[in-house]
Amino acid sequence: MSKNNGAALTLSQVTKRFGDTPVLHGIDLSIAPGSFVAIIGKSGCGKSTLLRVILGLEPASGGSVASDSDAAHARLIFQEPRLLPWASVAANVAVGLGERGDGPDGAAAARQALADVGLTGKADDWPSTLSGGQRQRVALARALVSNPTLLALDEPLGALDALTRIEMQSLLENVWQAQGFTALLVTHDVGEAVALADRVLLIDAGRVTLDQPIYLPRPRRRGDPAFAALEGAILERLLDASVSAGSR
Amino acid sequence: MSDKRNSETLPLAWIMPGALLLLWQASSSLGWLSANILPAPLSVLASAWTLTLDGTLPHNLGVSAARAVAGLLIGGGIGFGLGLLTGLSRISERLLDPTLQMVRNVPHLALIPMVIIWFGIEEEARLFLVALGVFFPIYLNTLHGIRNVDPQLIEMGRVYGMSPRRLFRRVILPGALPSILVGLRYALGIMWLTLIVAETIAAKSGIGHMAMNAREFMRTDIVVLSILIYALLGKLADSATKALERRFLRWNPAYRR
Repeated sequence: MSKNNGAALTLSQVTKRFGDTPVLHGIDLSIAPGSFVAIIGKSGCGKSTLLRVILGLEPASGGSVASDSDAAHARLIFQEPRLLPWASVAANVAVGLGERGDGPDGAAAARQALADVGLTGKADDWPSTLSGGQRQRVALARALVSNPTLLALDEPLGALDALTRIEMQSLLENVWQAQGFTALLVTHDVGEAVALADRVLLIDAGRVTLDQPIYLPRPRRRGDPAFAALEGAILERLLDASVSAGSR
Repeated sequence: MSDKRNSETLPLAWIMPGALLLLWQASSSLGWLSANILPAPLSVLASAWTLTLDGTLPHNLGVSAARAVAGLLIGGGIGFGLGLLTGLSRISERLLDPTLQMVRNVPHLALIPMVIIWFGIEEEARLFLVALGVFFPIYLNTLHGIRNVDPQLIEMGRVYGMSPRRLFRRVILPGALPSILVGLRYALGIMWLTLIVAETIAAKSGIGHMAMNAREFMRTDIVVLSILIYALLGKLADSATKALERRFLRWNPAYRR
C-alpha cells in the first residue's frame, strides 16, 4: 500500500441554498493535509450537504472550495455499501479504478485492496453472500483502491451493529494511518467522532458552531476519562444546538 | 436437501400422467372412445412417425419455428429498443409512452381481419401479428426494468466517475435484466399463441395449417399431434428462458440453485 499525501482543503464563505431555503451560511474552513476531520450535527443541519459541496457533487451557491488535489482523487463512502449485486466482490472493488479496473493490473489492485480490509479469499464471491459489515468493507476497498488523497465518509457505519461498528472504526483508523489520505467523516455518533478524528466540527443550522481539536493519543480507548469528558462536552453542545434549533 | 426432495418427488410426479395415459389408451382400445372424438395415444405416436418419415412434420415444424423466431426478433428487437429509449430519456418517454400504452389495450388478435386485408395470407401477415404480440411485453418490461434500477447504485456509478456508456453497461442494463427476462418469458407465450391462431386461420404451411388440413379429413390423430407439438415448443421456449435466467441472474439468490 503506497503512502500518499492527503489533500489540503480551503473553504471560503461557502453558501448553499436549495431554492429559497438556505442550507449553509458562509462556511470558512481550512483542512490540513492528512488530517482526520469529523463533522457532526443533528439531522438536517447541513453536514451531508457540506460534504457534497466539498466533493463537488453539489455546486456551491456562493464562495469557493479550493483543493490542492484534483477531484478524481476524492472518493466517497455512502451510508449503504451500494455494491453492484451482479458483479463479484473483486469486480465491485475494481469499479473504484474506472477503466483501469478492466485489465489484469486492476484485478491485482482490487485483490490487494481487499486484503487491506481483511477480505482475502472473498474476491470471487457475490455481494449477497456477505454480511453487512463485510459489504461495507468492500465499499471501503472500492474507495481506497484508487489511492484517493481525500476520503469522504457519509455516516458509513450508521447501519451496522455496535460490535461491527467498533471493528470498522479501528479498521478505518488503520488504513488512514497507513495511507495518509485526508479523511472527512460525517457522523451523528459523537463517540465515533472523538475516537477517530483529530478535529471535530459541529454544524448547526448551516454554521460551524464548534471547532474542537482532539489531542488524545491513538489508539484511543473509550473507557478513558479524558475521552469520556471530551465526548460528554461535545455531546452537550450538540444537544444545546438541537434545543435552540428546535425552539426556532 | 433439495436434491433428496427431487429424487423423492420425481417418480411420484410421473404416476398421475402415466395413469391417465394408460386409461386413455385402454378406453380407445376397448372402443369406449371413438377415434373421431379422441384418437388413441398410440395412433398419435404412429402418425408422428409416418409424418416424420414423409417429411411433412419436419417441414411444417421448420416453417413454424422460423416464423416464431423471426417474429420474436423483429417485435422483441423493436420493443427492447423503444423500451431502452423511453427508459433512458424522459423526452422520449413523454413523447412515446402514452401512445404505446394506449395501443397496448388493443388485442392484437382482433386485428386479424385488417391484417388479412393488408397482407392477405402471405408470410408478412403472420410476422406482423407475432411481432406485434411480442412487442408489448418486452417493451413494458424493459421500460419497467430500467425505471426500477436502484437510484443509489446509479448515483454511486456517477460519483465513481463512470461514463454514461459504462454506467449503462455496468449498472443499468444488468439491473434491468431480471425484468427484461420476465418480459421475454411472457413474449414467448404470446408468440406461440399468436402463431397458432395465425396459422390456423390463414396459412399454407406450418403446424397450424397441418392441423386444419387434418381436420378436413377427420384425422384427429394429426390434430392432437399438432396440439402436442405446440405444447412441446412452448415448454422448450420456457426452458430456454429459464436457462438464460440461471446464466445471467446467477448473482441473485432467488435464481441460484
